[in-house]
Amino acid sequence: MTKYFQIWLASARYSITRTLMFRFDFFLWALVELFWMGVNLLLISVIYEHTDSIAGWSKYEMLLLVGTSLLVQRFLMGFFWSSLFEMGRNIKSGAFDFFLAQPGNILFMASTRKLDLDGLCNSLVAMGVVAYAAHRLNLHPSALDLLLYAVMIFCGLIIHYSMLVMTISLAFWITSAQGIEGSYFTLAEFSRLPREAFKGISSVLFVWLLPVVVVSNAPAQILLHGFQPAWVLALVAATLAWFATAVFVFHRGLRRYASASS
Amino acid sequence: MFPAFAKYRQSFLIGLQSNLVYRMNFAVRGFFSLFHLAVVFILWGAAYSHNESIGGFSFGQTLTYFLVMLVMQFFVGAFNEDYQISEEIRSGLINQFILKPINYFSYRFSIFLAARFVTGALILIPLLVAVPLLKDYLTLPTEAWRYLLLAPAMMFSALIQFSIAYCFGMLTFWFLEIQGFVILSMAIESLLGGQMFPLDLLPAWIFNAAKFLPFYYQTYFPTAILTGRIEFAATIQGFGIQLLWVLVLLAVNQLLWTRGLRRHTAVGG
Repeated sequence: MTKYFQIWLASARYSITRTLMFRFDFFLWALVELFWMGVNLLLISVIYEHTDSIAGWSKYEMLLLVGTSLLVQRFLMGFFWSSLFEMGRNIKSGAFDFFLAQPGNILFMASTRKLDLDGLCNSLVAMGVVAYAAHRLNLHPSALDLLLYAVMIFCGLIIHYSMLVMTISLAFWITSAQGIEGSYFTLAEFSRLPREAFKGISSVLFVWLLPVVVVSNAPAQILLHGFQPAWVLALVAATLAWFATAVFVFHRGLRRYASASS
Repeated sequence: MFPAFAKYRQSFLIGLQSNLVYRMNFAVRGFFSLFHLAVVFILWGAAYSHNESIGGFSFGQTLTYFLVMLVMQFFVGAFNEDYQISEEIRSGLINQFILKPINYFSYRFSIFLAARFVTGALILIPLLVAVPLLKDYLTLPTEAWRYLLLAPAMMFSALIQFSIAYCFGMLTFWFLEIQGFVILSMAIESLLGGQMFPLDLLPAWIFNAAKFLPFYYQTYFPTAILTGRIEFAATIQGFGIQLLWVLVLLAVNQLLWTRGLRRHTAVGG
């Protein structure tokens, strides 16, 4: 465990040094993420110009939900995105050999190689959005609620990570697929919607089968309505199930990896 | 005239073949666009649950707008043309075009048309699933002029889409990595191109300002014509501005190409 933490620290140090070398890239990407977050917040703002409620959620409740969803996504971007994005490319090019030769867990080594500081910086902006919405709603969460919120965000991060690992692992089977990781963003869109908006088959599919809705709704519910055992249990169960499935899919895919032709 | 046509016809056919290689990729993208439609349906359905109309339009009209917008993106939108151009400049592959009697813009545009031919055909598959499910909601206006003016609006939209992608590709002459610029512009395009929400829901002054930007004419303009969100007089005025942007962007493309080539060092090839 300590060994892996040290490896992660070494990767983090390397990423920070790299960011300091390419400062313009850092500012540009931070701006890119900030813009995308702004686009999502503007969507909420425009809809609430024309209505008072979406599935019973007021404007600032919705802002808190979207902020929470963006927070999980920023953490994913900051901690894992670059490494997993490169993993997809490396599987196709054969450069994935490099990770197979390393003395450590392959999935860990491949998914923690790079840290994106721009994503991590923007997670502060997402936290600001959540705090602003909580302030407008006059919420005063207890320390325990905040701790639970953090745990829920962590679970959400693991679920998003697992979904992304599974999407990228498709490259083991479909080698001609380019940009397949973009489909993750489509699924992530659901996490910005309130649970109550899902009815019938969409509820079965996106709330129960895919955990995208629970990921953001469970932590948001804690801030809005305090500790709710059902939401917490659902999220922890989903986290364990999805992480186990992702590890399984990745290793099944790894069996098909044929390295490069040359 | 005709030999030139034959030349680009060949590149169109090559583009068709190379894009068919990635049919699986486009098909997956088309399949996932159904999920985007589901998000739209759920979000706007919930917003409409307490309102008969939003911005003067019914739920059915808004849903139709998003469906047409999606189809439009597959028919006229630029996908990864900017990256392809960037890669050709960076790897030195572009050198062969400097030596041959072929116009690089026309060559790339013919490949872009071939790619849209493939993606346009592929989006019809998820559409076969979506339309029967949504048929009770979909509603299109009946005025004939909308259908007549759709084709030229889409043609100019495709030119604007491609020209913007081409501009970003040209930036490789100055910057090694263009991905950041491209994704930044995607955020602006998705907002001001009407992919996130119908632009007429914006406050009037922002909407009026957006009409003078090229993004409005990328996908929103043809979509608004077909879905009845724009009237005849505004459409004619829109065509004027759209044409102006086509000319401006073509001029910028030419400028970036000539200026960029001066910086080009023709490595590899």
